Amino acid sequence: MVSFPTPLLWKSTLRFYGRHPWQMVLSILGIALGVAVVVAVDLANESARRAFDHSMQAVTGQASHQIIGGPAGLDEAVYVHLRREGLVRDSAPVISAYVQLGDRLLHLLGVDPFAEGQFRKLLDYTDDAEAGDAIRRLLIEPGAVVMSREMASELGLQVGAELSLHASGLAQPALLVGIFDPPPGKAAALQDLLLTDIASAQELLGMVGRLSYIDLRLSQHEPEDRLTDIKAMLPSNARLVSAESRGQAMGQMTRAFRINLTAMSLLALVVGMFLIYNTMSFSVLQRRGLIGNLRVLGVSRTSISGLVLGEGFLIGLIGTLLGLLLGMLLAQELVKLVTRTINDLYFVVQVTGVELSLTGILKAVALGVGATLLAVLVPAWEAGLAPPRMAMNRSRIELKASRLLLPLALAGLALIGLALVLLLPNRSLVLGFGSLFLLMLGFSLLTPAGVVLCSKLAVPLLGRLFGLPGRMAARGVRASLSRTGVAIAALSIAVSATVGVGVMVESFRTSVQHWLASTLQGDIYIAPPLAPGSGSDRRLDAALVAAIEQVPGIAEISRGRPMDVQSAEGITQLFALHMAQQSYAGMELLEGEKERVWAQFDQEQAVIISEPYAYHHRLQAGGLLRLVTDEGEQEFRIAGVYRDYGSDQGVVTMRMSLYRQYWKDDSIFSMGLYLEPGVDVPGMIKQLQALSAGKQVLRIRSNRTLREASIDTFDRTFAITNVLRLLAIGVAFVGILSALMALQLEKARELAILRATGFTPGQVWGLVTTQTGFMGLISGLLAIPLGVMLAALLIFVINRRAFGWSMDIILPGGVLIEALLLALIAALLAGLYPAWKMARVPPAAALREE
Amino acid sequence: MRRLLLILLVVGIGMAWWLFGRQAAVPVAPLDLGEVLGGVAEAGFERATAARTFHFPKDHGPHPSFRNEWWYFTGNLEDAGQRRFGFQLVFFRNALASGKAAGDSPWRSHQSWMAHFALTDAQDKEFHAFERFSRGAVGLAGAQSEPFSVWLDDWSVIEVDGRWQLQAGEGDLSISLSLLPQRSPVLQGESGLSQKSGDPGNASHYYSIPRLSAEGEIRLGARHHQVRGLAWLDREWSTSALGKDQAGWDWFSLQLSDGSDLMFYRLRKKDGTVDPYSAGSFIQKDGALTRLGPEMVELEVVRYWQSPKGGRYPVHWRLNIPSLQLELEVTPVMENQELDLYVRYWEGAVDVAGKRSGQPIQGRGYLELAGYAK
Repeated sequence: MVSFPTPLLWKSTLRFYGRHPWQMVLSILGIALGVAVVVAVDLANESARRAFDHSMQAVTGQASHQIIGGPAGLDEAVYVHLRREGLVRDSAPVISAYVQLGDRLLHLLGVDPFAEGQFRKLLDYTDDAEAGDAIRRLLIEPGAVVMSREMASELGLQVGAELSLHASGLAQPALLVGIFDPPPGKAAALQDLLLTDIASAQELLGMVGRLSYIDLRLSQHEPEDRLTDIKAMLPSNARLVSAESRGQAMGQMTRAFRINLTAMSLLALVVGMFLIYNTMSFSVLQRRGLIGNLRVLGVSRTSISGLVLGEGFLIGLIGTLLGLLLGMLLAQELVKLVTRTINDLYFVVQVTGVELSLTGILKAVALGVGATLLAVLVPAWEAGLAPPRMAMNRSRIELKASRLLLPLALAGLALIGLALVLLLPNRSLVLGFGSLFLLMLGFSLLTPAGVVLCSKLAVPLLGRLFGLPGRMAARGVRASLSRTGVAIAALSIAVSATVGVGVMVESFRTSVQHWLASTLQGDIYIAPPLAPGSGSDRRLDAALVAAIEQVPGIAEISRGRPMDVQSAEGITQLFALHMAQQSYAGMELLEGEKERVWAQFDQEQAVIISEPYAYHHRLQAGGLLRLVTDEGEQEFRIAGVYRDYGSDQGVVTMRMSLYRQYWKDDSIFSMGLYLEPGVDVPGMIKQLQALSAGKQVLRIRSNRTLREASIDTFDRTFAITNVLRLLAIGVAFVGILSALMALQLEKARELAILRATGFTPGQVWGLVTTQTGFMGLISGLLAIPLGVMLAALLIFVINRRAFGWSMDIILPGGVLIEALLLALIAALLAGLYPAWKMARVPPAAALREE
Repeated sequence: MRRLLLILLVVGIGMAWWLFGRQAAVPVAPLDLGEVLGGVAEAGFERATAARTFHFPKDHGPHPSFRNEWWYFTGNLEDAGQRRFGFQLVFFRNALASGKAAGDSPWRSHQSWMAHFALTDAQDKEFHAFERFSRGAVGLAGAQSEPFSVWLDDWSVIEVDGRWQLQAGEGDLSISLSLLPQRSPVLQGESGLSQKSGDPGNASHYYSIPRLSAEGEIRLGARHHQVRGLAWLDREWSTSALGKDQAGWDWFSLQLSDGSDLMFYRLRKKDGTVDPYSAGSFIQKDGALTRLGPEMVELEVVRYWQSPKGGRYPVHWRLNIPSLQLELEVTPVMENQELDLYVRYWEGAVDVAGKRSGQPIQGRGYLELAGYAK
């Protein structure tokens, strides 16, 4: 039980913190930083998700279902048939693609204004006559588009402006015939929308005769047989899906990515908790005399505990509020990184800004205050235990602390055991992270024992190096274990996280590099500039392909065509590939025997699937996969599983000739050229550029450039991880600073006695610095095994469960040494001020204190 | 004249609505007819400046060189138990621009289409009205002469073995009729040239088939009614028509029991007077035609019906043509036959009773009241 402290008690608290302001400031800062990171990541995630939902919803409008087609889109005759048969009155054809205007990527939405009324409310005109004119021109003028007022003013365009849109690298003329105001609340979702008539969309995108999809609005009470009727009339390659499920599928794609970010942000908060614990228990210790006196005066245990809890609550609250503000600032930057990664890897989303929601605030407050209270529980309990007057003197506490060593270590081992149990075969990402945090917690409970061990071992060593101060430093760390233990644990947690993440990223990067080196066997790669999210409209100009094939000096060509197809597993990325002879060696097969795999792939109705695809859909070599082709649903044998880091959703690869047998699509998207020996790569690239000039804008890249570009994307993806890592270290730094200051200030009298007995200020400085350096070293040493374990967990469990990738763990010496240096430098930096202060205090003043 | 307003409203302002969606539709303010229809004829369109020679069945098909055109079917039906029904199915064509559309996409078309379908159930006093829009491309909407057909989505009138099969529906309500002309086409106005206002060229080509036998089925939810009766077809095409001072019209198409048919429209001016370009025709059973001018027809409103949506419609009339010794009372089969669609107007089935040359006479018909909605 805790009772509420009286005003008198609060006064004592105020007086105490008034005399030690830095203590409160550092606590608040620690909590604020932790909360800020969590808030920022949460905001960035939420903003990206919301922006996606909004644009999805604005574009989907009132549609309840959609009819989607094969990779090349949907035959428009399906729509006409639907209408003429009166199957669904509320239906609208849509063409959706991304086009480039200057350096901006815009969402080109082709609609039929006559069918739109029931679906989207995209436009808001103040002037009816103006609207009538714009829509009339949309309908009759080829290439006519309308855009939002915001976009028009950003681009400095006015009605009548001629635009050059790039779709698939081909420039197409367009004309701005109207400027609209998006309806209230939809401005952000529609700001990159270029609206056009379906006829212009077909012409601009080279999709004459085809649609992207058909929106339907079916009432919830629609009889089941109506759906059956609609399905019955669809051609074999078309599918009726609910609009909701389409949106969800897109949201699912980034789920793993977002969970990873959240877990990283929680790390910063956990480190912050150590900090709070440290500060609060120190403040209790410092007031042990006062607390003893209060108890003599009749203040109950519960009041004392309540006081400490109350303090913690206030500190937590202030820190949290500050953290909220800080988090919002931080989020402005983080959201850019998050958006860039999503755009790099998943789909186009435009995030205009971050806005804090009420639930976001509540979540942050609950986390910040909750974490603080949790951290304060032990000190509060300790404070209540203090007997009246009988001081909780230092030695007693340390005695108790050393008695606790064994139980703590056992508890730590138990937690680590539990972490391992959580790893028992399952596929839950959240359990994986749970295990990760348990492991860290267990390890931190083992830390005090580790500290004792290290300092015992270090006493003779430091003694030899630094003489008496060295020995004193090593012993001092052990003697004030209740302080140093926590500080070291906090720092080693933070450092181990950087080791874990560092090793994981490095291992990942190396694996990707190996994979790129073996997969990219060709000398030159050609593809149109990538517009993410536009499945069917990306292709190489057929005449240009024919011309390239005739260029002398090319020994062999591989051809690829990626597209999304329907399967029993949902939307599946299919890659139709004509492999050059040299390409085979580059594919690393993880399952299946080489000769048989390639024999099946080349001759039978078989595909190979990438590792993430196999993992997510629980498929194996030898299994069967059903895909919706233009000839209806077909079964394909899975010949093998191959390594691929190109897509975390997974890819199904099929030989080009088999693809063309089942899909009416002979376009290709990319070419890999294998040059004859002695042919000059840069010269060939120049020749190809000249060949394509004026026909299609292409990315023609050498093997090396493409590899570098891929690694750049990889590094961009992990940029945010590095930022979060640094932030966790920042929190740990504040923690160790606060712990050391507390420790050294507490020892003021002890040091004063040393001064009085002849220690020079320099020697005191040396003592303090050696001690902090020693603590840093211990943190670093303890962080390495934990870090490696974390890395293994991240690589073999988290990465696998989140993305389905496997990779080898690589222990780069650099990362390990960095960790040691990081801990050492952080500790030394944090010790600078206390050391300077201790050395400066005149001994008499320090001794007079009581 | 009559339906022109609807078309122009849709083109001028209504298009934006398709994008807005119904809920967000800007309420259409009471429109100034003169402003909306004060048509400057767009260059490139043909204009109705002189009488032409009609050719059937070719002229049942579309005339895309004119801006506007419509196929207007109305009719009175009853089932074996004398249960009364009225129906209206109309297809409007409007060209957004003259000439052929440029571009490769088959969706490219200058033709926009609108259709209205209304059903009157006189016994249950139920009135249903629906509308559709489409472009005249990829087969979604269009018209052709041989064999005759006009359609928008699944609403259509299609010639099959010499009969016109009419089909329309919405939800669990539908109509399916087989129509057979009982008369040859009647040319309205001056040999089919119907002058609407003073400016030469402000006219339409206009013919009617005042009598088509109709039989088929009406489906109202679970109920099916085998019905038969008489329908009326109005065909009109033009490029510009109304004068600036015209406010609306009252239009009658009546089929009388002695085999004669009457069409008359009264154009109202903004100042409340009757426009001298009001006109009509009286066709005897043997086909003899009498042209009617405004001075020949006496019209008197018996009763108004107040629309809950705003506006007051004169739904009950007395119509006298002294020169023909015709005295008729025109009574709606139900009062609320207002089409509450994007453009709001009243059009409904009516009963006719009176005398011709002193002899009692009955009939049925359709009445259209435009320009009253407020």
